[in-house]
Amino acid sequence: MVSRSHDLALPEGTTTLIRNLINERTGMFFDNGKSDLLIDKLSPLVIERGFTSYLDYYYLLKYDTAANTEWQDVMNALSVQETYFWREIDQIKALVQTLVPQWHARNPHSTLRIWSAACATGEEPLTIAMALNEAGWFEKVPIEIFASDASSKALARAEAGVYRDRAFRNLPAHLRDRYFDAEGSCSRVKNELHSRVKWKLANLIDEGQIAPLANADFIFCRNVFIYFSESAIGRVVRSFSRFMRPPGYLFVGAAESLLRLTTDFNLTEIDDAFVYAKRERAQ
Amino acid sequence: MTRIGVFTTDSHLVIQVWDAALVQLTGITEETASGKVVTALLPDLEERGLLKCLQRSLNDGVVEVLAPAFHHYLIPCAPATPAKHFDKMQQRVTIAPLRDDDSIAGLIVTVEDVTERLERERELATPMLEALSDDDWRVRREAVQEASRRAAPEAIAALLNSVVENHHNPALLNSALQVLAAASEVDTLSPLVELLHGPNPDLRMQAALALGEQRDVRAVEALVKALQDDDTNVRYHAIEALGKLKAVEAVDALVEIAESRDFFLSFVALDALAKIGDPRIVSRIVPLLDDDLLRDPAINLLGQLGDESAVAPLTALLNTPIAPTDTIADALATLSDRYEQQFGEAGYIADLTSHEISPTGVQNLLDALETPGKENLRSIALVLGWLKSPSVDRALTRLMGRVDLRNEIIEALVRHGSSTIDLLISQLIAEDLEVRRSAVVALGRIGDSSAVPAVVNTLNDESLAVDAANALAQIGDPSAVDGLLNLIGSDDASIRQAAVSALNSVIPPSMSGRIIPLLHDSDPNVRESAVKIAGYFGYPEAASALVELSRDPNERVKCAAIEHLPYVEDERAFDVLMHAIKDETPSVRAAVARALGVMDTPEVVQPLIEGLSDDDVWVRYFSARALGRRRSSDAVEALGRVIENEKFNHVRIAALDSLGQIGGDRIAGIVSGLVKHDDPDVAHAAQLALGKSNISRAKAQRRKEDL
Repeated sequence: MVSRSHDLALPEGTTTLIRNLINERTGMFFDNGKSDLLIDKLSPLVIERGFTSYLDYYYLLKYDTAANTEWQDVMNALSVQETYFWREIDQIKALVQTLVPQWHARNPHSTLRIWSAACATGEEPLTIAMALNEAGWFEKVPIEIFASDASSKALARAEAGVYRDRAFRNLPAHLRDRYFDAEGSCSRVKNELHSRVKWKLANLIDEGQIAPLANADFIFCRNVFIYFSESAIGRVVRSFSRFMRPPGYLFVGAAESLLRLTTDFNLTEIDDAFVYAKRERAQ
Repeated sequence: MTRIGVFTTDSHLVIQVWDAALVQLTGITEETASGKVVTALLPDLEERGLLKCLQRSLNDGVVEVLAPAFHHYLIPCAPATPAKHFDKMQQRVTIAPLRDDDSIAGLIVTVEDVTERLERERELATPMLEALSDDDWRVRREAVQEASRRAAPEAIAALLNSVVENHHNPALLNSALQVLAAASEVDTLSPLVELLHGPNPDLRMQAALALGEQRDVRAVEALVKALQDDDTNVRYHAIEALGKLKAVEAVDALVEIAESRDFFLSFVALDALAKIGDPRIVSRIVPLLDDDLLRDPAINLLGQLGDESAVAPLTALLNTPIAPTDTIADALATLSDRYEQQFGEAGYIADLTSHEISPTGVQNLLDALETPGKENLRSIALVLGWLKSPSVDRALTRLMGRVDLRNEIIEALVRHGSSTIDLLISQLIAEDLEVRRSAVVALGRIGDSSAVPAVVNTLNDESLAVDAANALAQIGDPSAVDGLLNLIGSDDASIRQAAVSALNSVIPPSMSGRIIPLLHDSDPNVRESAVKIAGYFGYPEAASALVELSRDPNERVKCAAIEHLPYVEDERAFDVLMHAIKDETPSVRAAVARALGVMDTPEVVQPLIEGLSDDDVWVRYFSARALGRRRSSDAVEALGRVIENEKFNHVRIAALDSLGQIGGDRIAGIVSGLVKHDDPDVAHAAQLALGKSNISRAKAQRRKEDL
């Protein structure tokens, strides 16, 4: 009798190959301490494709011309979708109370454009929309809010606009009542708010995809770079800088710092929040 | 005479320094230039395409050289003396980033007046000029090298003059030397050592700084001497430079400085010693643990360089009521990680710590764990995991939801063994999925059968089912069979696979009676899983069912039956596979290729060779792989054709791997052309194949010799 194991084979060196390919194509980086996590997250995809080895799956991702849809599954498997409304609200308050008024004073007849660059299941752009609405900005200024994510699964949930209780753990109760309707054990965002946001699928590492979105006055890209390699962060931030409208403000997560990676932005403190301001070049 | 002027800008391209040589060269005064944006002083920069060079250097940190032959000049001005061929001064310009630590703070631009030289070259049409425009790149390279050799001494003299004039600018010297390094192969060591011994303390300090940056170990002797300099700042930068140069020769002198307990110098000396990494100093560092100011760097150094003898003093400090707990935990964790990496002996550091620690030390760690808002708890969790006590277990269990600490916590709880089982079982119903997941993984690792009923209960939790099945596989208790069989029809492929793998571990081979009927189940998921289990155990009584299932209407079941048919060793298997290989579905043909690869008969080689020409890339890929498993030398030629003609590199790689497995004299000739392939994966596979074929040739040779 031939003996064999049903477990997926992981030939030596394959983890590194997969890790580097994923870094190259998505920006996400799994260091040595997290490579087990990467392998775990990919296992359903390897099994679903009928492969018994991660190496075969690596070749599929790298070489198969039909792998585009597979990459979408990889993004769905790897993306971190745990977020909530009113998260790191100091930055959004700084936007609404200080930066938007400043912007409006300088551009009284323009359309304000905001991009939530890694919106996951949509809590961040909807929080921005809520905060702007609470301050009455939608009545004063034409505003476009774009929200994108690389995971089609996350984006589908954002477009559906239905949230479980955990997403509301930080949102004041009166805002939940004002902007959401109960739907079974969940809550659905009201269409007046939801329709303020335009949803797009975009991979941050693909400049062609992000160029039209980055043509914005304010970019939120929070809690993404913690999963990226330094080189990928540098690449993405340079793209932001290239396409942003001047003066341009970039918001990153509290645990993220760009100081070592770029000279395109100055870190400034606005109200109680840290914001990166695009450096205005001498002309 | 070659003349070089220098100016610097800040990050907004506002001119900061405009030196005297540049004033002389261009006629533009310092008052006119300083404080002005470059584009205001030189408005046509963008139009001439030069602004982008400045911006590229500023943004990307690259050194840009504007060759006079192409750009002619950066700053428009008349030649110093009238020239026949040029109405403007011809300039060779080097633009380099001005660094401030790791960021780019501005630019340093050198402008060299090369008008005279160009004039002379044009006039004389020297052999050098001819050589520079020679068609042969080797001649041109020689000429360029010769040109830069001739310019270098004058260039360095001019630049150093500029540095002396502007020595209030701390980054200038380094950047000036960087320019020289980029522009020519000038030895910058001697002038720097001269500056280090000069009369001006500011310049001595900057020379020390620059010598550290240059990473040239020939500077060590001069820098060690500079440790005696009268000026503290010079000594400070000499210490730092010796650290950067990893100067083992300086260790004794640096330890003495550390022992002097002069905070300004001792701190940087400890940092330099850490960089040098000489472990002989450890015993001399231990007394510094008593010094409030130097304690933290001393602890770090002991963690980084110490051996087991550092554990006792570190733990003794941890046992004090005002211990710097986080720093000590980090040091112990670093020490333990290093022992694990070097000797596979993390446990030794753990045992020593556990032996030395007092209740106060344990409490310090527990308190540190509870400090709110702390992000990095890995070291504390790791050290706590070395200590066996119910309060430690409870504390660790509270952190089980932290994905970043999962490994440390699970390792600790597993090490504490069966005493933690009840605690872990109680966490299987925690609200947080990560806590439940860590608990189930730890229970699997502990492997105690008493946890089976509780773990089986979690199989219904879809988000935990895979981990629970894996845990049950590790425990290996047959009482889990019923629970696992309930999962083999799951719609989730990974849950099905985990259940099948677990059943293969826990089900006794004699239980074929439970599996065979499932081969006829109405649910294709159940049939597929049952095929995999029957194939794993090679139940002979499953053979007819597998033959039948190789024609199953469900593609996955069909593929599974085909792939597992060889394992039940039935004489119909080959014919069944030969029938299936004509299937129009590529995934079925690929399954046939995989199955043929494990069959122990020479008849499989020809159909696999034919599989190399299949329309579907994955059939070709698995055929190539299967031929390697068969180690058939009859396939060498066909695999060679794949290497030559295949469109997809993964099939080429599979062919290379297989050729390596087959071995033999012909392989080297086929694969050697690919060892420098553009695709690194192909090149790597070719190198491996070549290596394997060499080994197999050597073995064959040895066998011959033995005979």
